[in-house]
Parts: sequence; C-alpha cells; structure tokens
Amino acid sequence: MSRLLPSFALATVGVLSLAACGGSATTTDSKSSHIKVTLTSSGDCTYSATSVPAGPITFDISNTGAPGLSEFEVMTGERIIGERENVAPGLPAATFTLTLDGGAYTLYCPGANTEKTTLTVTGKAAAKASGSAADLLAQGAAEYQTYVQAQVDGMVTAVGRLHEAVESGDLAAAQRAYGEARPFYEKIESDVEGFLLPGAAAGDNAANLDYLIDMRASNLDPAVGWTGFHAVERDLFEKKAITEQTKTYAHDLDTNVQKLATVAKTLTFKPEDLANGAAGLLEEVQKNKVTGEEEAFSHLDLVDLASNVEGAQQAFEALKPGLAKINPTLSTQIDQRFGRVQSLLDSLRSRTAIGGYVTYTATVRAAEADRISQAVQALQDPLSQIAEKVATA
Amino acid sequence: MSLSRRGFIASAGAGVALGAAVGAGAQAYADSSEPVDAVDLSTSYDFYTGSHQVGIATPPQRHCIFMTFDLVAGATSKDLQVLLATWSAAIAQLQAGRTVGQMEPISLSAVATDTGEAYGLSTAGLTVTVGLGPGVFDKRLGLAAHRPKLLAPLPALPSESLDPKLTGGDLSVQACADDPQVVYHAIRDLARLGRGVVEVGWTVMGFGRASAGAEQSTPRNLMGYKDGTRNVSTEAQRAEFVWVDDDAAWAAGGTYQVARKIQMDIEIWDSATMQTQHEVFGRTKVAGAPLTGTREFDTPDFHATAGGKPIIDPDSHVALASPENNRGLRILRRGYNFTDGLNEAGQLDAGLLFIAYMNTPEAFIRLQTKMGRSDKLNEYITHVGSGVFFVPPAPKPGHYLAEQLFG
Repeated sequence: MSRLLPSFALATVGVLSLAACGGSATTTDSKSSHIKVTLTSSGDCTYSATSVPAGPITFDISNTGAPGLSEFEVMTGERIIGERENVAPGLPAATFTLTLDGGAYTLYCPGANTEKTTLTVTGKAAAKASGSAADLLAQGAAEYQTYVQAQVDGMVTAVGRLHEAVESGDLAAAQRAYGEARPFYEKIESDVEGFLLPGAAAGDNAANLDYLIDMRASNLDPAVGWTGFHAVERDLFEKKAITEQTKTYAHDLDTNVQKLATVAKTLTFKPEDLANGAAGLLEEVQKNKVTGEEEAFSHLDLVDLASNVEGAQQAFEALKPGLAKINPTLSTQIDQRFGRVQSLLDSLRSRTAIGGYVTYTATVRAAEADRISQAVQALQDPLSQIAEKVATA
Repeated sequence: MSLSRRGFIASAGAGVALGAAVGAGAQAYADSSEPVDAVDLSTSYDFYTGSHQVGIATPPQRHCIFMTFDLVAGATSKDLQVLLATWSAAIAQLQAGRTVGQMEPISLSAVATDTGEAYGLSTAGLTVTVGLGPGVFDKRLGLAAHRPKLLAPLPALPSESLDPKLTGGDLSVQACADDPQVVYHAIRDLARLGRGVVEVGWTVMGFGRASAGAEQSTPRNLMGYKDGTRNVSTEAQRAEFVWVDDDAAWAAGGTYQVARKIQMDIEIWDSATMQTQHEVFGRTKVAGAPLTGTREFDTPDFHATAGGKPIIDPDSHVALASPENNRGLRILRRGYNFTDGLNEAGQLDAGLLFIAYMNTPEAFIRLQTKMGRSDKLNEYITHVGSGVFFVPPAPKPGHYLAEQLFG
C-alpha cells in the first residue's frame, strides 16, 4: 500500500466530549446483544459478532492503536443510523445502542483495510422504536417550512413599514425601520437565494429576487443597477437624506418583497436543504458580516449576523430530534457551540442601538471579529457534517 | 540517511554555489570543507517514538510554521484530552505522509476530513512538535497538580517590546518540513481539528532555517550572518542541557520550549558599515569566523586585545551568548527567518523566529537578561512576540501526547 493513499480516516473535525466516548449514550438492557468493534494498529476493523438476533444491539468501539481510524458507522442501505467519531488511540471505548429489526445492515469503518462488513440481524425486534430518524427529520422539515413562512410574513410587514417611513420623510423613523426589517431577510436568506421571477433566465440578475432585494455595492451588476435594501441603506445612513430616488428604492423593495412572499409560498424543504441552509447562513456570517461588508453604510452587521445565526439555529433545531437519533454527540456538540456564539453575541447587545446590537464600527470589528469568526467557524465545522447524516435518512 | 532519487535535492546552502556564481573574488571566502547542505524529501519521522518528540533534535528542515492556540472559555480537561488524542493520531498520519482522513468522501453530501493540499507530495521530513503552555495548568482545567515544576510565564526581560497579540498561548504547535506546502497542510488540518476547543493565537511563518543541526552547514540569518555556529548538537549536550529528567514522571524526556518573534530593522542594518556589523556580531560575515580567528569554528578568544581594547567587543552578540561567558550555559536553538511583507511604515517586516529548547526556562531568562541589557544587536532588533511551553515526551503506539495527565 502506498503511504500516500488516503486510506486512513481519522474521525471528523469535531472534538467531542469524552462523555460521548464513555458509553453514556443510549439505553442498554440485559437482553441486548453486544458487538465489540476494535480498530487495530494494522488498520483492521474487527467485530466480535456479525450475526445477532433482532432487538437492542450495543456497539462497543475501541481503538487499540490505529491512528488513521477513529470512526465507526452502522448503515442500512445508504442511511447512517448510528455512529461514533473521534475514537482515537488511547481514549476510552465509545458505546452506542440501536434497536434493529431483522435484515442486513452495513458496518462501516471509513479508511479500514476492509471498510464495509455485513451485519446480519435475525428474527424480529420485540418492540419497534417509535419515531424513526427519517420520520423525525421529515417532521422537522415541515415545521421549518412554517418558520420560513412566518419570517416572510414578518418581512412583508416590516418592509411595508420601512416604505411608509421613507415616504413620510422621517429619517430617524426610516433608519429604525430599516434595522427592524433586516433580520427577517437575514434569517432565511439561504432559502431564497437564487429565487427567480417566473419565466426568468438563469443568470439574469434583473429577475433574481435575492439580487433585487439584497445586493450590495460590492457585487453590483451595472446592467441592472442599484436597488434593494442596501440602496435604501446608503441614502438613510450615508447620505442621511430621503430623496425622491430613496422613495423609489423603498417602493421597489416593498414590491419585490411581496413578490418574494408569493414565491416563498411554493417552497418545500427536504432535511438536507435545512442542513445546507444552516451551513449557508454561517458562510454568510463569515464572508460578509464579520468583515463588515454587508452593512457598509449603517454598520448594522451584527444585527444581520445575529439573524443569520438565529436562522441557522432554527434550521438545526428542526433537524435535531432526528439527528439526535443518528448521532447524539454531534447534536449535543452543535448545541453547545450555538450556545457559545449566542453568548458572544449577547455580550454585544445594545438596548439603544438600531437593531439591538452595537454598531459594527472599525473599532468594534478590530476588537471582536477574530473572536466571532473563530466561534462561528467552530460551529460551522460540525454543522457542515449534518447534510450527510440527514440526506439519505 | 538514504537518499532517494525522487526526493533528493542537493544544494549548497552557503558558500559553494554562491561562490561559483559570484566569481573569483567571493570564492576566496568559500570554505570547501563545509558540508553540502542536502535535502531528502523522502525523509519521514516516526511519531510514536516513546521518548522525545521529534522536531527538537531533528536537523532543522527548510520551512517551519509556529502557531499558538488558546483554550476557549469553558473548555474542560476532557476537551483537552480528546484534542491531544486527536492531534496525536493526526500527527502520526501526517508525519507518515498520509491524509488525516478522507480527502474525497464517497458520499457527496459529506465534508472532507483532510483538506488535501499535501496529497501526492513527499513527507519532506515533516515534524510536528506540540507544547503545553502555563495556562493548561492553571485553575481552569484542574490539572494544576501536574504542572511541570519550572513552567511559568516568562518574566519581563530587558529590551523587549512585546505585542500582547503575539504573546502567550495555552498550546504551541511547531510544524517543520522541507516543503512549505507540507508544513502548511499540517498546521491547517491541526487547527481545523482543534476548532471549538482552542482558538488560534499568534503565528509565525518561518523560512530558511537559521540554525544548524548535526551534519548541516551553519545557515545565515536575515542580517547575512551565520547563526548558531556553537549550537547544541550532540546527544550528550542534549542530555545535559535539553531533556528534562528530574520533573514529574509524566514529564521525563520532555523539554521546555521558548519561542520569540524577533523583529529586525532590516533597512537600518543594511546601511550599517561593515565595521559596525562585525563589531555587533563579533564575527566576520562571509566566513563567520570570530574576529580573533579566520575560520568559522575557531574558538573565539575573548581575552585577545589590540591597541589595549578587546578584539571581540564584550557587548558583541558572540561574547554575550558564548558558554565561556555564561558558566557553560547552552540552549538548543532552532530558529527560522520570517517575513510578513511590509509593516505599516512601509519597511520590510522580517526577522527571526527564535525557538529554543532547554531543560530549564531559567537558561533563556539568564541569557536574555544579559543580552537584553547590553547586546550591540539590540539597536537593530526588537523582541515582539513571546511564549513558553512544556513539550511532553512522545507517546508510545496506541497512546497519545501527555496521556498521563488525564489518568
């Protein structure tokens, strides 16, 4: 074997708590079968049994010295139904239990000399566990659809108010209304990205609602021109003046948001859409918000950033009951890291500032960007692993 | 050392090739007895040595990145335990030239666990050396009882102007190899594996080794002078000055690591006369000979005088650093040159990534206290970054770094 083959898999990015490795995971009882899984220094995955009766089956995974192997999965077809990661050499054994009905399953050790082994389960499980991961994920996706709809409804109202405030010529009220409208879009922006008006050609920005609503100066398409939230933002916060042009911007924004509301009614989501959407929102945080590029005139970037994070968390929450069945450790880890990002953001709240967060000035950015960025990336890493777990569930 | 055809790059680091290119005038200085500085890209080092970590006694490679990490608020000793186990497994893979995980997972909705930029490259002598900062043993993790007895933040030292952003660190990772892409890949994937438990602290990207190992010619720092002619280079010297043997049982075979980012005022140095430069180092430039000798390895004579004055200035770099003038004290230096482009004033932002290993940090403190006070070099350099770490011994197969801390 060439030493350059990527044939060893060291478990995934996340660094898990030992509690997860220590066997606290799921229910075991005296009737359950045990399968000892050993990752050996020669790169093998060995099993104490590959045929067991139906019912609860407990997997005890230990790594006796294979630095390249530290992950083990149980699959049915292409579905991952249980797994443990980060079983590095020297760490305590990891344990989890699945209740399996009769049939053939795949034991998967990514990177092992023999990666896949068939597990034969005989007979029928005494009691079928209620609520399979797949059912829970589908249910979550449906709930998330409701959440998106609520945000879109809120956006229509808030942008309507922004439009009114601009029309009235009240600069302070318009600035506040701008700050209040932004979160609705930012919580769900990954879901509406690329939404085209009916009959529009791909690549035509003039018919792309995300472009028309949320384009920034930095990615302006000269053929389409300047419109949307950020055109209004520039007038309200940089020029600090409401002109006839501003009123046109606000009017067009109102119209386009209403069109988006119509389009959004047709949206349906699969579990992996939620996973990818959540990861996409965090990418937005890293790419445009932490840098202060998004709200270049109002410096409300932290408002957007907090909304992106909230939107990602809502998508994750919808998947969590299903994900917790597949990989409770990953689910817990993501929970904790959302918590950390949230407490960081909480420290930046301001009651008096527009949008409820301190203005993201160059000074604030210099002091906070590094911390925020590292905390968000630490969340993004495990979050980006969810898509694989839920895509085929 | 066996040299493979594929990986062998022979080059003369110093005099030989340069002399030939520059012409007869320069050739006169070239020392033909100097070892040819060769690079064997197929070299690889075992991680599970069960004794010292590699990257300390290992002959310095051509490239090095030093990165520090800080534990995130709320990190527990279990978090650190899993991190050290995961890093250990990953480093073993990396040093063997393998990916740390799947570079291209079969499932298209999965995320790769190796970033892939070193795939297909030779091992290039990669070594990854991990150190634990004083913060690991403070109250946060409940590991205070295990603290290596001499591990504490360095005291303030003369002539330093430390940038808080370039100071401290709970963990250090020194990755060195003869291929910069291999070094970067190691650092990147270890940083990735650490996310959520540690955050990246300060970092220096080194190039062009500035210290010599056994069988290596003495390299030059960015001031053009040979650095480390009298470095610790034998196992007997390392036993005396480097490896810890009288500390906690878990620490035996470890060592203390001091890292400093030393800024050089390149432009000012470049306009200093030859006489000044010679006086500052106490050596000549091309040959690297002490001013009292003619060849690099001639022993400096600190008593020799001319016209009533010492030939080697007592405040020259070589005089202040020499074991003769420090009661025999030595530290193992493993430095690299660095450059970060231009500074805010439009000057070359460059200098020395000084990394040293010793069995007591007091050795560095003593030397630097003395040099910081009167070294003629201080006019041209500033210590801007600083950290001290304990480097635990290497684990045996099936184990991980500092495992005994978590019994």
